[in-house]
Amino acid sequence: MDGIYSACSRAMARIHLQAIQDDRMKILLIDNNDSFTQNLKHLLASSISGAEVRVKPYDLLATLDLAGFDMIVISPGPGTPTDYPGYERVFAAGRPVLGICLGMQIINEHNGGMTKPLPGCVHGKTETILFNGLKRVVARYHSLYVTKVGNGLKILSKNENNVPMCLGNRNARLLGYQFHPESFLTHDKEVFIDFALDYLGLG
Amino acid sequence: MTSPSTISVSVSKDRFDAFAALLASDMEADLILSSPGYPAETVSVAGLWPVAEMVMTKKTTPAMVRNFCFGTPGLTMGFVSYTYGMMLRGVASDKPSCFPHGHLKKYGATAQYDPLNGQVTLSSVDRTRLRKLAGLLKASPDSLPEMDVPVLPGPAPTSSLDKTRYEAGVRETLNRILSGYTYQLNLSTKFTWDCPDTDPLALFLALQKKHPAPFHAWLRSGHDRIVSTSPERFLRVTDGNVLSQPIKGTLQFEEYDPSLASQLRNSPKEDAELSMIVDLIRNDLSANCVPGSVRVENHKSIFAVDCLLQMYTDVLGELRRDRDCLDLFFDAFPGGSVTGCPKKSSMKIIEQLEPHERGIYCGSVVVIRDRLNMDSSIAIRTATYNTVSRELNYWAGSGIVVDSRPASEYLETIAKAEKFLTLGKQ
Repeated sequence: MDGIYSACSRAMARIHLQAIQDDRMKILLIDNNDSFTQNLKHLLASSISGAEVRVKPYDLLATLDLAGFDMIVISPGPGTPTDYPGYERVFAAGRPVLGICLGMQIINEHNGGMTKPLPGCVHGKTETILFNGLKRVVARYHSLYVTKVGNGLKILSKNENNVPMCLGNRNARLLGYQFHPESFLTHDKEVFIDFALDYLGLG
Repeated sequence: MTSPSTISVSVSKDRFDAFAALLASDMEADLILSSPGYPAETVSVAGLWPVAEMVMTKKTTPAMVRNFCFGTPGLTMGFVSYTYGMMLRGVASDKPSCFPHGHLKKYGATAQYDPLNGQVTLSSVDRTRLRKLAGLLKASPDSLPEMDVPVLPGPAPTSSLDKTRYEAGVRETLNRILSGYTYQLNLSTKFTWDCPDTDPLALFLALQKKHPAPFHAWLRSGHDRIVSTSPERFLRVTDGNVLSQPIKGTLQFEEYDPSLASQLRNSPKEDAELSMIVDLIRNDLSANCVPGSVRVENHKSIFAVDCLLQMYTDVLGELRRDRDCLDLFFDAFPGGSVTGCPKKSSMKIIEQLEPHERGIYCGSVVVIRDRLNMDSSIAIRTATYNTVSRELNYWAGSGIVVDSRPASEYLETIAKAEKFLTLGKQ
């Protein structure tokens, strides 16, 4: 009996382990040739318990298998959203999408918004913004900014010069940060990942 | 394979430097000499009687380098050129390549000075060579004799980007920053002299004596001689613990005054320059480090070298168990402080704006001990001398950010070139 019992419990343990592994959040991080993507990967992995983050280069976007991911993250990167065609299939996949910097601008333009050069652009500097009701110190790296907000997107945070810092559409499960939560200059980085999970219905 | 025999002796650093100079002049040794007291201070190394050499070309893969370094015991020393880094990062160039992509050597004997215990360790599998080195060390003078810095001949060197063209390059860089293709970019100019009568080793030894720096290197590569006086560490790996110390932010001074340090530290422009590169180095370390282990310490620290105050930060991490120091090195190469950010996009723009090949400049001088131990510099403040063409090349650059002014950036490059431009004239 003991033998049968322990064989059963081993099988049960395997099934249980399988369930846990299936519960692990699978995140696809699309890298737009940026130099902060690994920072973002490490932030996602350390903020979301058990998350599996796969990084794929933008060059492979057209052939990426998008099925099976719980969230798709669009990385920062050089240039403008028009330099990165092909994201339509990411939005058509019906998965929650988080965009950082250029990633937010890509979400915005996909929904009919516009991006223009930011007078006196900002790189490697911090700013205190009001985010979800609290003052937060965030790192900014951007030459461009959102001048027209896309259809259905709401400005969830802006700086004192009215530059949009966070855009979202809760129903469409889209969220973008203009600032860089993954920078060492940003305080309480995990707050922004927790907020994203909650907003995108993954909490 | 026979394991090497070693002899360890306590000597002063000055004595080791005199010994190393003798090895370079009489026995064709390659050298890394680290002046004491700098944040990037490292073990000084002399390598003799090369037993294996790898001259890197565009066909050399990181796997081949790994096999060369780890396939046989003993340390590997040499350099990897920026040009090889362009290939690694997928940045195309149609400029003729006039310099090896890298040159690495294994040695029949080494002499090393460890600043932590003040000991020189001689090492060789050949006992005769070991005894010879021990005899030479014993007979070495207590320090290098005073020597004049060789005077480089007139006329003045030619430069690939003179003042007008360099400043135009800075303005074009600012346009690329405003349009979002780079956030910071390191733009350099190359100086070339005809120096028919210059002894490059005398030049190296004089610079090493008069201009202390943590990463002096004298390397022989075919007809080329490398004279490197770098102040900057790229990557050190000690038993898997990773340290990078990117430098950004420069302030030239004639007389040191403690208030200058806070002036540099409080400059929003210099702060942003360094912070950007710290985020980039965090990224480059994270690719091969244990998640959660990458951290920033001593942000905006300052040291002085050559009448320049330099600001730097320690970025640390722990190498993943399934990776080695060369995985880290090649994924992070070339160092972010001399490319700009984002790296690939900035390197493409550099390739468009600079008419010259960087060659070893902004590459690295490296010592690789084993899979978990290495040290490396960023090869800036570095010259090459070709013993056939008798030409001396030197490069100097500056990090351009949105707040940069073209005239000031040109002056910064001249300040960094000064120890070469004014050779023998102080």
